[in-house]
Parts: sequence; C-alpha cells; structure tokens
Amino acid sequence: MIQIENITKTYARSGGGTVEALKSVTFDISEGEFVAVRGASGSGKSTLLNILGCLDRPSSGSYRLNSEDVARYSDKQLSRVRNAKVGFIFQAFNLLPRTTALENVEIPMVYADGHVDRQRAIAALERVGLASRARHYASELSGGEQQRVAIARALINSPVLVLADEPTGNLDFKTGQEVMALLQELHYDGRTILLVTHDDAVAAYASRELRLQDGTILSNKVVSIAPLRPLIGDRP
Amino acid sequence: MKQITLVRQAAVCLMRYRLRTILMMLGVVVGIASLAILTSIGEATKRETMRRFKNMIGTFDTIMVRAGGGRSRGMPTLVNVPPTLRFEDAKAIAELPGVQTVAEMQSAFDIDIRYRNRAASPAVFGVSPNWLTLRSDEMADGEFFTGGHDTALARVAVIGTDVRSTLFPDEDPLGKTIRIAEVPFQVIGILKSRGAGPAGGSLDDVILIPLNTASRRLFNRDYLTMVIAQLKDPAQSDAATNRVSELLRERHHIQPPGLDDFVITNPAATMARVTQASSTLARILTGVAIMALLIGGIVIMSLMSIAVSERRREIGVRRSLGASRGDVVFQFLLEAVSVAFLGGLAGVLIGLGGMQIAARVEKLPPVLVWPPFALAVLLSVVIGIVFGIYPAWKASRVDPIQALRS
Repeated sequence: MIQIENITKTYARSGGGTVEALKSVTFDISEGEFVAVRGASGSGKSTLLNILGCLDRPSSGSYRLNSEDVARYSDKQLSRVRNAKVGFIFQAFNLLPRTTALENVEIPMVYADGHVDRQRAIAALERVGLASRARHYASELSGGEQQRVAIARALINSPVLVLADEPTGNLDFKTGQEVMALLQELHYDGRTILLVTHDDAVAAYASRELRLQDGTILSNKVVSIAPLRPLIGDRP
Repeated sequence: MKQITLVRQAAVCLMRYRLRTILMMLGVVVGIASLAILTSIGEATKRETMRRFKNMIGTFDTIMVRAGGGRSRGMPTLVNVPPTLRFEDAKAIAELPGVQTVAEMQSAFDIDIRYRNRAASPAVFGVSPNWLTLRSDEMADGEFFTGGHDTALARVAVIGTDVRSTLFPDEDPLGKTIRIAEVPFQVIGILKSRGAGPAGGSLDDVILIPLNTASRRLFNRDYLTMVIAQLKDPAQSDAATNRVSELLRERHHIQPPGLDDFVITNPAATMARVTQASSTLARILTGVAIMALLIGGIVIMSLMSIAVSERRREIGVRRSLGASRGDVVFQFLLEAVSVAFLGGLAGVLIGLGGMQIAARVEKLPPVLVWPPFALAVLLSVVIGIVFGIYPAWKASRVDPIQALRS
C-alpha cells in the first residue's frame, strides 16, 4: 500500500552547504501493518514521517500512497491527500485551544468538503470512550483524554494511513498503555499504522520494526507475524 | 459549503478570543464613527446653508443689482442709499436680451411703524407688483397689491409675520390701518413666513408697499435700492451679469479705471461658491476620518500579524488535518474582514448616536444622510481585505513542520 523507493531529502544548511536527512531509503508497507519506526534523534525519523504524512516532499525518489504517486504533488493536492488519506497523532496532542473536543474532531470534515456530520463526530468520540466529554474544551481534558480526542480526530475521515509520532511521550505509563490499546484496536480493525517511538514497550505493539540510522535503513524486520492479543481489557 | 463552514468557524473563533477581537475592532469603530458623523454633519450643514440661502434669494433664475459702489455696504437708511440706480436703468435692464422681466425695489430701515400704541421698525420695501413672483414669496392671508394699486399710489401694505406678531398679537391685521412714518396705510395681506436667512436673521420682519406709493408718498425718491432681473435661461447667469454690468457702466458714464457704482449679485454663482466652500470643508473632514480609518486598518494588520505568530501551532495543526495554503489565507482574511465589518457596523451605530448629539449641539436639523453610512460599512470591508492580506499571507507561509515541532 505504501511504496517508498530511493527517497532522499536534502536540506540547505543555514550556514551554506546541505544536509542529507534521508539517503536513498526504500521500503514497502502493506495494508494492515503496524510499523514502529525507531532510531536515534537525527536519524531521519521525523523527516520520513513528514514525507509519509505529505507535509513535506522528498528531494528525489518516489512515494506511492494507496497507488497514488504523491512525491511531486502541489500544496493543494498534498493537502487533499493529508485530509483524506492520512491521520496524524502527535506527542503533544495538538488539539486546538478554546475549541471543544467535538469541534476538534470535526475539523478534518471542514477541510474535506465542508459538510460537518455531527453524528459521525459524536460516534468517533464514542469509539474512544469520550462521548460524555464532547462539549468540553481541550484545556479541560486530561492528557490521556486529549490524546484519545486526537485519535478520534485522526480517524474521522477514515484515513488509509495513521501516523503516530511518540503518541505516549507526554503521558504517564497507565494512560500511555490505554492509548496504545486503542491503537492496537485500530490495528486489529485492519488499519495501517506507522508509529515513531523510543520506547521498547511501545514498539512491542508493532508487527514490524524499521530502524533508521543517519538517514538510511539499518534494519527492517517483522517482529510478530500474528497480531498480539490485546494486553488491556477489550473495548466495545 | 466549505466556505460557509469556514465563515461559521471564523465567527466562533472571534467570539472565543473576544478581547483580541474587540481590540482589533476599536480602530475601525472610531474611524467609521467619525467618518459617518463628519460626513453627515458636512452634508447637513451644506443642506442647511442651501436652504437658508434659498430662503433669502427666493429663486435661482434671477440676478440682483444693488445701488452702491464696490465694498461700501452698510444698512441703507432713508438717506444713505446712493441715488445712482434709476428707474430708467431698470427699464433698460428689462430690455436686455436674456432678461425675462425685472422687479424694482426701494428700501428703508429705521422707520417708525405704529398701530395704536404699538411700535415696530421693520424693513420697509417699496416693490413692484411682480415682486411676489420673482422672490417666490407666498401669501399667508389676504392679497398682494396689484398694478392698479401701484398706479393709483394706493396706501396699502403687506406685512411679514414678525410685524404681525409685534403689532397685532391678538387681532386680525387685515383691513387695519397702520402708520408708516406717520402716513396711514391699510393692511391688505400677510406674507408666509420665510424663516432665517444665511446669517441667521429673520426674513419676516418686513413691510411691503407699492413701489410708486413708496417713491412719491413716503421716501420721495426717484432712484432704486435694488433691481431683480429674472433670466430666461438661469444657466446664462454669468453672461447676463456681464451684460447688465456693461449696460450700467455705459449708462452711468463710468470709464476704466472708474469703479462700479452698483453691485450685482449672481445667486447661482454665489450658491456655487457657498456649496464649494462647504464641500471643501467636508472633504477635509472626510480626509481626517479616512486617516482614522487607515489607522484602524493598521491596528487590525498588526494585531493580526501578532496573532499569526501566536497561532502558529493552530495553523500547523490545521495544515496537518488537510488545510491548504489557500484555506489558511481564506481563514485569516475572513477573520480580518469580519472584524472590520463588525467594527464598521458598531461605528455606524455610534455614528448615528453621535449625529443626534451633534445635531442638537450645532442646532442643525438632524438630517440623516444615508450614503455616508452605507459607504462607511462598505469601506470597512475594503479596509478588512486590504489590511488582512498581509497577515493572511504570513499565516499561509507558516511551515507546518516547524510549527508542529515547536
């Protein structure tokens, strides 16, 4: 479903010269995989994530997402792809301030066709167990709740790819596990997930591990063939 | 559909950041309010000046020729009207091409008028019977005198409303005999009130008597204070003014560099000057108000630019959720325009209130002039667009990757 071929990314350094953040990276991700991307800081994880999320374009190489070659897309086309095919989950949650949980979940619908289906947004919040907090402002929610709202928001347009950048980085262990359980459920539902993390416990949820070093792939191995059983109690 | 949703989002956003919204609006509110008030006052003043001017002149298809040279003005009394403007001059003016007809007038002030034990000293005008038409005066009661009265040197008088209230506070003046400089006159008509002249003085403190009666029985004069010439074509008033001037200089044997011994007033030209003067004032005031409005625009621009820096993360999040650069531009431009529009509306409401106060203080009739208000609202929208462009562009340039990382 995702084919990355010989992707490079070069940045102009402010003092002159260039930095190669990604050096000819090639890999595939099939539909339904749960991939953990790991590597030291500066290894190119963030750059890869930005390219996969269509926030950035590779300097060269090709990127096929769901059989659409997006490597040379314009800003407008990339925006459409981000909206329809990618769901972002951030370490800092990134809910809009002074905006309710429900309104946050509705934003991707605004940029799709502008038709806001409130019932669908409420259903998405129900799915993450937060329907009762729909009218609360982001600042009134706990970290774990904010991240669950963010997950509902990431899923509202049924993306083919979910990108999670250190989703448990700002959470304590217990809420982190709750969030991971939620991601795992998505995985069981057949969603393709790519997760960036430093945490072994978090990476253990993934079915495949991609290690980066200095802009190249160090290793790419399947860590579990069958999806793991849920570690925390089932959710409806 | 998308745009409508974005408009709703902008409204919600402006409401949630109420303080910032109000601060941004403030400049436009002040600018629009002052623009609306000043242009309205300008317009009301202009209308009021024109109205008073028209009161004094009567009609605009006439020119007025007064005796007396150059700048030597002052109130004509029985003695200080120069004996230069003759009855024959009036006849000659009437025969000029372009002149329809003339009305003649002798005036005197400081004359004692008595009725029983009451006294008044209004202006006394001896006028030809066509005076009423040329001045577009109207009768409130009774009749105006006719050519017959004039030929017969009849001692009849038509009085203004001020004279009526002074001499006949609780009597019907018609048919009563008043004494003008001890000569008895019968009141046969009352003029309709004309109100105030351009200088604010009353135009109703006046008695009109037939010209010949005045000339032979009262003033003993064979010269005129003023001739009013009605023109066939009011647009030709400048040409007519020149012709009358040439004619009178010739008849009075005035050679250059001798000065005129008469003064010609061209109401159409004077009116144009008055209107121009007040519209110059209006333009200056409008300029000041527009300056205030521009400052309002700059306030929006700077506060909005600061807001863009503060909202970098929001922009990044929206971009990651599928907002294109165009969507971001639209969002911020929309917020700027909404702020300016709301500010404009508030300014108009305050302006309307201010107009009422200003009208009361300046003793102008509270003329509500709509175009400046409508224009003000339109202008505020334009201000919103013009000064919203920079912050909107700046917002669209925010790099989502940087913004999300911070």
